[in-house]
Amino acid sequence: MTDALRLERVSFAYGDVTALAEVSFALGPGERAALLGRNGAGKSTLVRLVTGLRRPAAGSIWVEDWDTRDRPPEQLARRVGSMFQYADQQLFARTVRDDVSFGPRALGFAAPEVQQRVGRALAALGLEAHAAHHPYDLPPAFRKLAALAGALALEPRLLVLDEPTAGLDRALRARVASALLERAAAGAALLVVTHDLAFAAETLERALVLDRGRLACDEPLAGLLAAPPRLEPLGLAPPAVAALSRALGLPGAPVREADAARALARVAAGRRAPLD
Amino acid sequence: MTRLHPFTLLALAAALVALAWLLPAPWGAAGTLAVAAVLALFSGAGLTPGASPGSTGTGMSPGWRPGLVVLRTAVVTAAPFWLFLFILHDVSTTVALGLRITTMVASVVWLVAVLAPARLVEAMVAAGWRAGTAYLFAATLSAVPVLKARAQRIVEAQRCRGLSPRGGLGPRVRALRALALPLILSALHEVDERALALESRGLVPGARRTPLAPPPDRGAERAVRWALVALCVAALVWRLA
Repeated sequence: MTDALRLERVSFAYGDVTALAEVSFALGPGERAALLGRNGAGKSTLVRLVTGLRRPAAGSIWVEDWDTRDRPPEQLARRVGSMFQYADQQLFARTVRDDVSFGPRALGFAAPEVQQRVGRALAALGLEAHAAHHPYDLPPAFRKLAALAGALALEPRLLVLDEPTAGLDRALRARVASALLERAAAGAALLVVTHDLAFAAETLERALVLDRGRLACDEPLAGLLAAPPRLEPLGLAPPAVAALSRALGLPGAPVREADAARALARVAAGRRAPLD
Repeated sequence: MTRLHPFTLLALAAALVALAWLLPAPWGAAGTLAVAAVLALFSGAGLTPGASPGSTGTGMSPGWRPGLVVLRTAVVTAAPFWLFLFILHDVSTTVALGLRITTMVASVVWLVAVLAPARLVEAMVAAGWRAGTAYLFAATLSAVPVLKARAQRIVEAQRCRGLSPRGGLGPRVRALRALALPLILSALHEVDERALALESRGLVPGARRTPLAPPPDRGAERAVRWALVALCVAALVWRLA
């Protein structure tokens, strides 16, 4: 099966400053990867390379069978949906619905198809009630969701998101997680830059950690989060659930809330009550 | 050049603009434009790698390249004026007005490239100006690179949603419209936030600010500034006589 995304020894520099050095990895369809690392590790640069906004100085990036060096971003948008850190600045239509429909219309889909895609994207993020609002009348968190809906409406094979949950409360983060899991189940690969490891633990399955431009770690996310001594040198801290699991010595060291709750319930069921 | 006192830089730019309009065209304006072009070419002198003098924010490397970027910006900005002048006027008027307008544009672009807003604020506060007035000048200068960077981000985000900024007139107009709204709205939004941030940090009408590192104002520079004023007055008297 063709990889949704493949990086082959990709390097990039800003002048004399190396941003990425020989980074290689591949994402299969439906795979959910977190791109982690300290500020300045090269995460946003990698996003810009994958979306075609920059070209690698060395190596190559493939989105399925497309080499990103041969495709401008507007062409890559047929396969790559993206959202950047300053997502709300990309909103410009008079209503949320118009804005979300911008991508599918720009790519030339027929009107019924556009309507369906917009409807699905708005529903996935619970934005139907705001569809007729002006984007700038919404709070920043909802503007972020509107921008994400714009990326989802493209229904791309690869979603590249830079900090999709920054500034969102727990309920809105859950909406984002649910929408992303839905897209992944439909076969889209996810590459999510995030510092929100609790969100990552709930939503993503693979950890790609950049450290000073190099790929320092590529492994299952749950295993990495359950090993705090390995996280610290990478500038990461375990999410609360992972820390609690470890402190309590829960079997399997779960990092997701539901898994930890089940483990706790099993432990509690197997223990006698204090007064017995 | 960036080490010159901010008032000297302002005086140079203002004198060039004034002389371009006061001196007889086309040679007077051609002379001032030549001076402005030379200043623009040397605007990168003294820069360290990855750093700009203050407001350009382009991370240019030292040497000729920053100067060429400044010059190119001035030429690109002035080009539409030449087109409209050519449509509306005869050749001699087009040349006369075009040179003057290009001098104005080149002087302002050069000033934005070499004048660090923070140094201007320090210089104005040290000279006894109110902090609010100083900030008004500095904010105007610093808005240019900020808006430029924001516009870049917006265009990139839109390209990733399938909007091509290339092609014929139609796609370009669409792209421009799609850029203008978020750029203006976010800028207006930022005005509110900046005003609150400034007030919450004590920038209220009438307040005096303590200058921490006022730029040195050498006697020679003061003399140059007065000489520029005298030159402009002399040109005015000569033209009126």
